[in-house]
Amino acid sequence: MLHDILTVSFLTAFLSATVRLAVPIIYGGLGELVAEKTGILNIGMEGVMLSGAFFSFAGAWFSGSILVGLACGILGGMAVSMLHAFLSIRLAQDQTVSGLALNLFMLGVTSFLYKYMSMGQSYQKIPTLSEIRIPLLSRIPFIGEAFFARDVLTYVLYALLILTFVFYKKTNKGLSFAAIGENARAAASAGVPVHKYQYIAMMINGALGGIGGAFLVLTQLGVFTENMISGRGYIALAAVILGRYKPQGMFAAALLFGAANALQIRLQVVGIGISPYLLAILPYAITLIALIGAVGKRSEPEGLAKPYLKGAR
Amino acid sequence: MKKLLAVALVLILVFSLSACGDKEESSGGTEETIKVALCLSGAANDQGWNQTAYEGALKACEKYGFELAYTENLTAADIASTFADYAGAGYQVIIGHGYEFGDPALEVAANYPDTKFIITEADAAADNVASYVMACEQTAYVEGIIAALMTESGKVGAIGPIQGDSLVKIVNGFEDGAKSINPDIVVKSAWTNSFVDTQLGKEAAQAMIEDGVDVIKHCANASGNGVMDAAVAADIWCQGDSYDQSSMAPDNILDSALYNLDVVLDIALGTIADDTFVGEVYNLGMADNAVAMLLSDNLPDDVKAEAQKYIDEIISGDLVVERDYTIRS
Repeated sequence: MLHDILTVSFLTAFLSATVRLAVPIIYGGLGELVAEKTGILNIGMEGVMLSGAFFSFAGAWFSGSILVGLACGILGGMAVSMLHAFLSIRLAQDQTVSGLALNLFMLGVTSFLYKYMSMGQSYQKIPTLSEIRIPLLSRIPFIGEAFFARDVLTYVLYALLILTFVFYKKTNKGLSFAAIGENARAAASAGVPVHKYQYIAMMINGALGGIGGAFLVLTQLGVFTENMISGRGYIALAAVILGRYKPQGMFAAALLFGAANALQIRLQVVGIGISPYLLAILPYAITLIALIGAVGKRSEPEGLAKPYLKGAR
Repeated sequence: MKKLLAVALVLILVFSLSACGDKEESSGGTEETIKVALCLSGAANDQGWNQTAYEGALKACEKYGFELAYTENLTAADIASTFADYAGAGYQVIIGHGYEFGDPALEVAANYPDTKFIITEADAAADNVASYVMACEQTAYVEGIIAALMTESGKVGAIGPIQGDSLVKIVNGFEDGAKSINPDIVVKSAWTNSFVDTQLGKEAAQAMIEDGVDVIKHCANASGNGVMDAAVAADIWCQGDSYDQSSMAPDNILDSALYNLDVVLDIALGTIADDTFVGEVYNLGMADNAVAMLLSDNLPDDVKAEAQKYIDEIISGDLVVERDYTIRS
């Protein structure tokens, strides 16, 4: 069996699939990271991504333009995140409850709207974004094909990852944003407008999560199906934890999850008899192991999921 | 702010109470109408497994003058409570569409002896639980034959969602059919472990295509929509499931295996209408028109004729397709 796997074409195809499966998780994870750095835990990422997927599909379908679809997807994601932001910042509600409620709510909303939209229609499909090969880079063996023969949304993601890394590592603003998550009161006394920055972070959270969902529709499938995010939003949360709240760590963790999924589906095709149930728990098992390994060196923001009320003690 | 909220809540309470009142009054006159609840594992408009059940139930309820309600996207954890909700709300008939509804039905049915449960694809039977099993392995067998006749690479594939009995028998039937034509044919199989993960369905198909597979059969509901999409993108043959799926791949589809839930539910709800309900496991196949093959015009005439020959043999009973629930790998 090994000779089936250790071939150039298998590995190249496997790496390409890894990136395809990881991109939505990385988008969701990056949005979640930005939110959690300011102390807002958005468990509703699944709902944000589902909203992005549906509205990008609806936008592209009715306008006939992928760009309009993408804009609708971003707005759809932002709407959900802003709802969460209002509940957890302005009303200082329990962020876990709000996030879970949003996931269920958005599953209902998107299913309802999709039903309304597709009633009496035959199969609805939109054209997808085409592949752009980057000269030279795409010819690197193995990784060239996987990372540099992709679509424009994937390239934008690389830029965003670098941007986020530099923002938190090198800029004062980045430090202010991260300080809120560590200790909001200390940040406020240092003159950081806590709530304003939290709202900004949540807008980014929604936009990125929205693109993550839209990616599935606009570049991968061209169709919307109910509940199509299928847990990718939760995996994105896991990627942030596993990546120790760092963009580069989250990126690696998401790639690992993508690789696990790409590998399990390929092993089945090659005919290696591992139960798909066993393989399906792989990402969750890795996360649990990572959490055990993280005992003692807490990496999460100190003030995560704790609402900040001005003047309260 | 708080006062406003309180006023709003009171208003909602008043309205919902009055709404309840209305319902009770009006239901007095229509008490004769039998209320049927349909429980689905996916979306009622998925152009597949669930849509055929929804449309079938709608048709049968119209015919017998029943009232239909439905709940979608149920996961294993929600089934028992949804059943109990409907039974408690006075629904006389509850339909669970899929093998995974069997065990929860037995569990809940014991507490609601006056409610009748009709489950598809399960082997559950009790005083008030009847199961209807469709011989999907018969259609899958014919699809395997078609795939074997159409492949040029000698490699065909089948993609399923979750390894439940009613899906395993399809993948096995497909393999048996293909091997009956060419014992040396390579039959690949993969499971996405999800009814709704469309991207993973597409990835599974892509992995098969890269491996040289040139005919893919799916039985993976919405996850399978990704399979059809991958087949179109790579321009290979594909075979639909549950519903006429030719609109998903007009130039690449060979056939669709139809599960005629309108026939099945017509029989099942008929036993309610004429009060002949007996809690047993019923088997319905091609001969009952519970399952059928829809052959596409993309098939060459000789393959079409060959497939039709096998269909006729299965209907007449000359060819018996084995139903195999064992997971092969």
